[in-house]
Amino acid sequence: MYDVVIIGGGLSGLMASIWLADRGKKTALISKGDPMCCLSTGCIDVFGGTSSPLKGIEKPPRGHPYHFVGLEGIRDSLNFFKKIMAGSGLNYIGDIETNRGILTPLGTIKATCLVPQTMEAAYTGADEYIHIVSFKGLKDFYPAYITSKNENAGYSVFDAGISTTIGLATRFEDTTFRREFVAKLKSWEIPNGRIAMPAVLGLSSSVEIMEAISKELDRKIFEIPTLPPSIPGIRLFRRLKYTLQQKGGDIYWGRDIASVERSDTQIEAVTIVTGSRPTRVEGRAFVLATGSFVSGGLYALRESVYETVFNLPVIFPKKRAKWFNEDFFDIGHPIEKAGIRVDRSFRPRHANLENLFVCGSILAFSDIMKYGCGNGMAIATGVAAAKSLDRWLG
Amino acid sequence: MKFEHCIRCTICVENCPVFSVEPKFPGPKQAGPDAQRFRMDGEVSVDSWVLFCNQCKRCETVCPYGVDVSEIILKAQIKYVEEHGRSIANYMFANTYNIGILASAFAPIVNKIINTHLVKNIMRVIGISTYIPFPRYHAFTLSKGRRKAGKGSKKVVFFYGCYLNFNRPDIGRKIRSILVSMGLEVITPHQVCCGLPALGNGDLDSARRFANKNAGILVHYINRGYDVVYACTSCGLTLVRDYPGIMTLPDGKKISENTYNVHEYILNLMEEGYVNPEFGPVDMRIAYHIPCHLRSLGIGYPAARLFEMIPDLQYQVLDDNCCGLSGTYGFKEKNKDVSVKLGKLATLPILEYAPDAIASDCGACRMQLGGLTGISTIDPSEIIFRSLNMSLSVFGGKKNISAGGQDDKGDD
Repeated sequence: MYDVVIIGGGLSGLMASIWLADRGKKTALISKGDPMCCLSTGCIDVFGGTSSPLKGIEKPPRGHPYHFVGLEGIRDSLNFFKKIMAGSGLNYIGDIETNRGILTPLGTIKATCLVPQTMEAAYTGADEYIHIVSFKGLKDFYPAYITSKNENAGYSVFDAGISTTIGLATRFEDTTFRREFVAKLKSWEIPNGRIAMPAVLGLSSSVEIMEAISKELDRKIFEIPTLPPSIPGIRLFRRLKYTLQQKGGDIYWGRDIASVERSDTQIEAVTIVTGSRPTRVEGRAFVLATGSFVSGGLYALRESVYETVFNLPVIFPKKRAKWFNEDFFDIGHPIEKAGIRVDRSFRPRHANLENLFVCGSILAFSDIMKYGCGNGMAIATGVAAAKSLDRWLG
Repeated sequence: MKFEHCIRCTICVENCPVFSVEPKFPGPKQAGPDAQRFRMDGEVSVDSWVLFCNQCKRCETVCPYGVDVSEIILKAQIKYVEEHGRSIANYMFANTYNIGILASAFAPIVNKIINTHLVKNIMRVIGISTYIPFPRYHAFTLSKGRRKAGKGSKKVVFFYGCYLNFNRPDIGRKIRSILVSMGLEVITPHQVCCGLPALGNGDLDSARRFANKNAGILVHYINRGYDVVYACTSCGLTLVRDYPGIMTLPDGKKISENTYNVHEYILNLMEEGYVNPEFGPVDMRIAYHIPCHLRSLGIGYPAARLFEMIPDLQYQVLDDNCCGLSGTYGFKEKNKDVSVKLGKLATLPILEYAPDAIASDCGACRMQLGGLTGISTIDPSEIIFRSLNMSLSVFGGKKNISAGGQDDKGDD
């Protein structure tokens, strides 16, 4: 019997699990597969479009999950996140007061709140020469896009014998390879300025690798996030998972929920399937963090949307014709508001369940694309739901 | 789930060990669901790179959509090998069980010559790699030992697997005595290879032959109220997943429903209140390398939950790396580079943790990681055995065999 069973191993579920395990709760995390944060840039967007996330957080309409967390709650959760990442060797830089600019592979600047230390020195508009070092054969990363938009930039290409982000990141863990890489870069006599690279500086020791190369070359280096497979995304996920394991949380990999046992007002247990045999996982309380459509937390039929684990009531625009805006690039399609409505304690509304708490992108009215708040909201609601659950468990 | 459900998110690619070190392997997404769109039953397979997949099944475990990526690749591998012929190494490794019978019958001689230069040279010629020493064979295998031990209202059949049988029967005996001490009747019936090595070497027919033989034995006991308990996580995955799955055994589902990992079984007994073992202190620092196939079983890490109850035991769960040996995969000369590269990556977090020993449920993982680091290796059950302050004397021998008395490394 666990104190808490968390369903969904994404950023929100992991943060809720870590917060609860940190409080000495016996937790089990059930994950259908690896989460979407593996595909993300690894940056924590809290609120885009304003110079400070603080200024934006109050903007969305009343139902937005940020209003249930509150400003101090969001600040606390980001600090908690930074603290655990610092302890695990993958430092995050930034604070809720400022949005920072990071360089994208398209040469544009993207605003985000917390960034991995390897992106700290990213281009912020200062008139300093940027030299991009890319890798032969690397797909979906074209330095010419960047130099076409930034006059004061140039690039070179290194042949690493492997041309995938994951293969390159693996190479960078090897000190012999790093020596060859540094020697080659030195021989190129790159003009003074900063060096930018696609985000492949190692899988687990990225900060050390960046610092070592930076010292050798005596200049600042930063990473540019890539399309998936995204290494900063994997680093983020693995570090959080590792932290949870260190705190004694159990993780059940690659398993779907086959059935749910509930009494009048409580979820009693869920059943996961191993081969052909069901394994029953009992808990005193449950967290639902299965994500939105892409992660499988929500499922759309022709005219309706349902929640896949507990069949909770879902809010969505009733007519399919109203799901999408006319223009695809008109961000903020009404269907992006679909999800589970919760009360201030993060319990689902109209479900009459006292031991179930919901967090992450499955929450209704989150409108992640519109507000640029994906990972930030995952962290904030994950911690907030965990706190609420903890108060209830006592 | 079928290949059509793949949305090409690349999470499997992020998690593929072979893809991270071998440029010739296009990764699980391309080798699996993508290429599947172009494979037709009547056409001869052309992509030799499918053979690079080591069947660690990580892709399947991490897929958010439940696509059977590794099974799609396995079927492509079997088809490729059927059409293009088997190598000598394929034949040998598909039949590790028969080789084990021979080797253990002549164990003293085999152990003397198996790691000599001459034999190693011959092995390399027929495509077998020798970068880590071959394991020692034992004459007194589990299959030759007693059939029945202990008494209790609960009864189990012990599926020990080839590695414990031929190479580490001492671990098998320890597991059996742990189970007996928990008040169980333990049957160790005659059994053959689970069939996985044959499957991994593209020989579905041999795999089915092995599986059918085991199925007859296991079902006989299951029908009489016994549960099946396995120690090797790869054998376990084969019984649970492949018997009803790719091998399509009529009794596969029944076996799958009644088969448990040994530590999972102990935890269940404790939860039911059937036993309440007193775990004594074990003063060790353990790097617990999780075998890929344990991850794939989806039962969590039951041994780690037992470790939690052992006083003084320090341990770290390490589950992000595949050891690279992958059963018989790394023993093939053509896979050696991939295997060594992956093995070295897997040793990095272990060396960082600086353990007294490396624990792993899988004999192949232990061989690889012990062989590459020189650190001694231990089966999680041996740690539990030590914690319960047990000795093997209940089985007639007077000698107290300490848990660290033997190792998975052969003599080099």
